[in-house]
Amino acid sequence: MDVLVQLLLNGIMLGSMYAIISVGLTLIFGIVRVVNFAHGEFLMIGMYATYLLATKLGWHPYVSAVPVVVLLFCVGALVQRFIIQPLLNADEHIQIFATVGLSTALVNLALMIFGADLYSVSTPSARQSVSLGGYTVLSGQLVILACALALVAGLHLFMQKTPLGRAIRATAQNRNAALLMGVRVDRIYIISFGLGAACVGLASALVMPLFPVTPTIGSYFVLTAFVVVVLGGMRSMYGAFAGAMIIGIVDSLSGYYIAPDLKEVVYFAIFILILIFKPTGLFGFGRGTE
Amino acid sequence: MRFVTRAALAVALTLSATQAFGQVKIGALYPFSGGLALLGDESFRGLEIAIEERNAAGGLKKQKIEIVKGDAVEPNQAVGEARRLTSVDKVPVIFGTYSSSLSIAATQVAELAGVPYFELGAISDPITERGFKNVYRTNPTARDFAARMVDAVGEAIAPALGVEAKSLKVAIIHEDSLYGQTVAGYQTARAKEKGVTIVETLPYSAKSVDLTPVILRLKTAGADVVLQTSYQNDTVLFFRQMKEQGFKPKAMIGAGGGYSLRDTMLAIGAENMEGALNVDFTQFRTNPKAAPGVDAFVKKYQAKYGTAPRSGHSLANYMGALVFLDAMEKAPDLKAASIRTAVLAVDVPVGGTATGWGAKFAESGQNSRAVPFLMQWQGGDLVTVFPADAAVAKMKVGIGTN
Repeated sequence: MDVLVQLLLNGIMLGSMYAIISVGLTLIFGIVRVVNFAHGEFLMIGMYATYLLATKLGWHPYVSAVPVVVLLFCVGALVQRFIIQPLLNADEHIQIFATVGLSTALVNLALMIFGADLYSVSTPSARQSVSLGGYTVLSGQLVILACALALVAGLHLFMQKTPLGRAIRATAQNRNAALLMGVRVDRIYIISFGLGAACVGLASALVMPLFPVTPTIGSYFVLTAFVVVVLGGMRSMYGAFAGAMIIGIVDSLSGYYIAPDLKEVVYFAIFILILIFKPTGLFGFGRGTE
Repeated sequence: MRFVTRAALAVALTLSATQAFGQVKIGALYPFSGGLALLGDESFRGLEIAIEERNAAGGLKKQKIEIVKGDAVEPNQAVGEARRLTSVDKVPVIFGTYSSSLSIAATQVAELAGVPYFELGAISDPITERGFKNVYRTNPTARDFAARMVDAVGEAIAPALGVEAKSLKVAIIHEDSLYGQTVAGYQTARAKEKGVTIVETLPYSAKSVDLTPVILRLKTAGADVVLQTSYQNDTVLFFRQMKEQGFKPKAMIGAGGGYSLRDTMLAIGAENMEGALNVDFTQFRTNPKAAPGVDAFVKKYQAKYGTAPRSGHSLANYMGALVFLDAMEKAPDLKAASIRTAVLAVDVPVGGTATGWGAKFAESGQNSRAVPFLMQWQGGDLVTVFPADAAVAKMKVGIGTN
């Protein structure tokens, strides 16, 4: 029983981390309709930026979150403007190849600049064990959970209540109709891609105290992030959040009760079953919405 | 067109032949770029120092040795570069390789070309188990690593704790790629042979972002000693989460890999890494009586590269290169058959080289006198603690200072 509760807690903490990483991916997929295979490398860029700010300027990763979010917004916007936009009317496969190529290029760029070594930031305050009735979690994990919830709620408000949010939703629903209504679709795409990248920027600053960064760190998270996004219905942020929690808990429980090296098998099996029986994802909006 | 190519080739060959007068080329095949570059380069530095030492002492058969580099990032490239070295540069021998998968690929080319291949750092056993006649290896293999890790339970840890070896519950955890699988397989076999109690064997993906399920399993099983075969990221994650989950085994032994790197210790923190045991190639904090020349090597390295050595790979490559250069010097010529006779005649006792290893080659080409030592992280340094004559510090028990 004790172990079960601890495993569930660990699963929720892991889930919130997957959630905060996946929200940006959902956003980009849902609005720009591009499968961004370089998402993991955006995380890597954010983590290196956080690392540099911590070692050169002595900034706490949580403080660095602000400039890193801005930096990643710019990176995302530039990628959309100069790589995706020229390919917007091309075949979907071409866009996928473009983001895969970008991902490989970024990994090798990081290898050139930083080498294959891992770098970490020493932040004891984010690694404090917090006791919850005899079970332990880390302060940094609680921060991630809180931020993931706040991020989803904040984005929801932004999408529902602001004119820009409405324009983004309109573009996501029907690009041509939005264009006819006077929405500057190209600009909306640039902003949306930037927003998605900015979300992963926030994630990278929050994850940095818990994981050391290497050029390939993105590949540790990105496959799971894709599962989360599809599980959540591809364009629903709440869906992604719930999907992340499910994956986190399944990961934790199957690692203990089945075998640590089989946990991916378990959640990919669940993933395939859901795709068979509910192809639009757990929280999908029916066929045609992807 | 064909005529032009041939003519150009002839001119090139003549030119390179005149240039080669008074010097002998040797191939050096390592990953100089890509993800393995750091330790590939570190390995190469050991070879480079050995060659410079030789050249300063008159060279090989009174000829200056010139290194021809081959850069192998992955196995296909290793094959391509090995072909270039053997057929374009026509080197008489190749030294390499650091990575086992690169070595397996490159040695096949060298074997077919009849060019002796000297492996100085790759640990996968099959490299010298394929019946090849031109592949030789100075360093210990995965089987030696596994044996040392399992034997350390009875020979070093149980005496230090003052308990019977049989009473200790041992767990094997390993990353689930070929490296971890291989070492863990040998560990299981060795444990059976030696009557060591294994309570859990847990493979995990080196790309895991959460190892708490592994740790909770070990906690539930009440493991006293954990044998871990791991890379860098998973080592860091395991140590951090072990502390957070309050799991305190009596001893942890790593199989080199992530355990040997200074950056791993820095990421985990010296106080948390304190007491972690490690089996690996000889490191620099080793008793010079058991490893004569280790101090002189560190000095030469410092003088040439301006930093302390980054890992023991350079030392292992230095030792191996010297052994093979000695054998080549004694061979009447640099033909593969003469080199084979000379290498099989090598007889250096244990404790006769800078790594503390001896050298005596079996028919397979494998050195039978290479054993990895047991080391321990103490105060942020990796020091040799076992066997006693190579030790520079006394072994401690327990993990972490707090």
